[in-house]
Amino acid sequence: MTRNFPLGFHIGAATVFAFILPFVVPSEVLATEILIFALAAIGCNLLLGYTGLLSFGQALFFGAGAYFAGLMSIHLPFGLFTVLLISTIAGAAIAVIVGFFSIRRAGIYFVMLTLAFGQLGYYIAFLAEPLTGGEDGLLSVVRPSLTIPFIAKFDFATNTSFYYVTAVTFVMAFTLLQRLVDSPLGSVLRAIKQNEARAEAIGYQVRLYKIAVFAFSGAVTSLSGALYALMLNFAPLSNIDIETSEVILFMCVLGGLGSLYGSILGAVIFLLASDFFAELWPRWMLLLGLMLVMIMLYMPGGLWKSVCSLFARLSGTDDTVKKGGANG
Amino acid sequence: MIYFLMGVGLTIIFGMMHFVNFAHGIYYAIGAYICYQFIVWTGSFWIGLLLTPIVVGLLAYVIERVLVRRLYKMDHAVQILITIGVMLIIREGILIVWGTVPKPVSIPPLLSGVVFFGEFAYPKYRLFIVAVAAFIALALWYLLDKTRFGIMVRAGSENPKMVSLLGHDIDRLFAFTFVLGVALAGVAGALISPIRGADAFMGVEALGIAFVVVVIGGMGSFTGALIGGLIVGLVQSFTSGFWPQGTNVMIYSVMALIILLRPNGLFGRA
Repeated sequence: MTRNFPLGFHIGAATVFAFILPFVVPSEVLATEILIFALAAIGCNLLLGYTGLLSFGQALFFGAGAYFAGLMSIHLPFGLFTVLLISTIAGAAIAVIVGFFSIRRAGIYFVMLTLAFGQLGYYIAFLAEPLTGGEDGLLSVVRPSLTIPFIAKFDFATNTSFYYVTAVTFVMAFTLLQRLVDSPLGSVLRAIKQNEARAEAIGYQVRLYKIAVFAFSGAVTSLSGALYALMLNFAPLSNIDIETSEVILFMCVLGGLGSLYGSILGAVIFLLASDFFAELWPRWMLLLGLMLVMIMLYMPGGLWKSVCSLFARLSGTDDTVKKGGANG
Repeated sequence: MIYFLMGVGLTIIFGMMHFVNFAHGIYYAIGAYICYQFIVWTGSFWIGLLLTPIVVGLLAYVIERVLVRRLYKMDHAVQILITIGVMLIIREGILIVWGTVPKPVSIPPLLSGVVFFGEFAYPKYRLFIVAVAAFIALALWYLLDKTRFGIMVRAGSENPKMVSLLGHDIDRLFAFTFVLGVALAGVAGALISPIRGADAFMGVEALGIAFVVVVIGGMGSFTGALIGGLIVGLVQSFTSGFWPQGTNVMIYSVMALIILLRPNGLFGRA
């Protein structure tokens, strides 16, 4: 069990990270992308890492958020804050519906149901061409502006300004979710992951908790999808396809389950690697597949755990390493 | 019937070994490519159709020995993620070997053209697929239900440890079952190749459908896979009559409906 750091620590860490990131990575767009997918990976981690629910339909929430944000920005005169808020709530609503049906089954059936819902969403988006642009995607999405009455109006047309929008959203969402997993609710989720029957027997309404975690996961994933559409000025159909689900899942597993910081690390590594390799070798996904197999076989804790235990070993403070050392 | 072939391979592997194979779709794709390759070499679709399952089976055997056998005792989530890794590796391998442009496969001359049933014209090749799949279904049923091997497989799915204690080599049995299931996906790919060509990304869609078939029918049930495949095929051809673009939406909706009414699938064990 990890120690709970005070909330201020997490706010500080996330802020520092978001502040440094654009100076370290090659471009601001990439930095924006990293924060966006870090949020999506966190959404996945809430389900898989904390509650033990492997969802294959994360792209449904991601794509839905992108479409909601895109459509609102094109057709409705809402400001940035409203667009992001409504996308988030809509994502949570969809997730509650998907969750409600999916958690009727456990294990492998659950995975397949989430996959089926994801595919269902994909084909609906594909068919609803007048609304979503079908195969071409939703074009000419405009970034809504943020108006603070009587004071100022920001339009975020440049990549730099949009990075800071993303960064602020990221820090807020991250802090809230970190607070969530440190809360009693988070403990119940971990209890469900460890032993569902026991959690039920103690008297927790496991179903309700699972639906709740779906809502949070859907909300944050949808939020990240909304940011992504605004970043690209475009909501492609591929946002909602199974490959996006896989990518999100992969970042989550790569970084490590059960730690929100792990998800951030996963997104950083994945996007930097894909940025680096994509130009060198178009078939770099081959390496990705190999990496996935290796991590699952030899590093089930993901990179974050390995990094943690490495630091612990160097400083000689952590006793988990001395006891087992098997996680590394 | 193609759906049945995909679904039954998946369900055999799961029912027997409790192993979730998310790479199943890619074996279907590689079946199509290997069939294409044999046609290029020999000029005969028939040789391709016959040899494809053997080659795919060999590939499956190697993968089973090197990787899959270590995973049987692991969590489903781990199996899923690792087989996705395998899927990526094979898919990129396909793209390296055969390039990114899908390969067309022509219908063998013997089977081109249509057959008339009164008013309705039906392509000969599709009838051929139905016939082959029906034959395979029969053969599988015989294999699983009537032979010594089938008894061992079914016993193994109930209690692998007991089968092993009774002196049967469960390790080899598992390997064979895996190869069989994967080879079925390879046959399905080879059969479909004249209709839709060989495409590295055809596996994703097929995997989705295979899961629907298996979920409808009930995981691990042979009859379930057959009925599930039939239902999916019927829904598809029925929907394409009045809403051609909406077939996939309908298929997934039917699946959601069945899950709600019968959570274990039509023929599933609890």
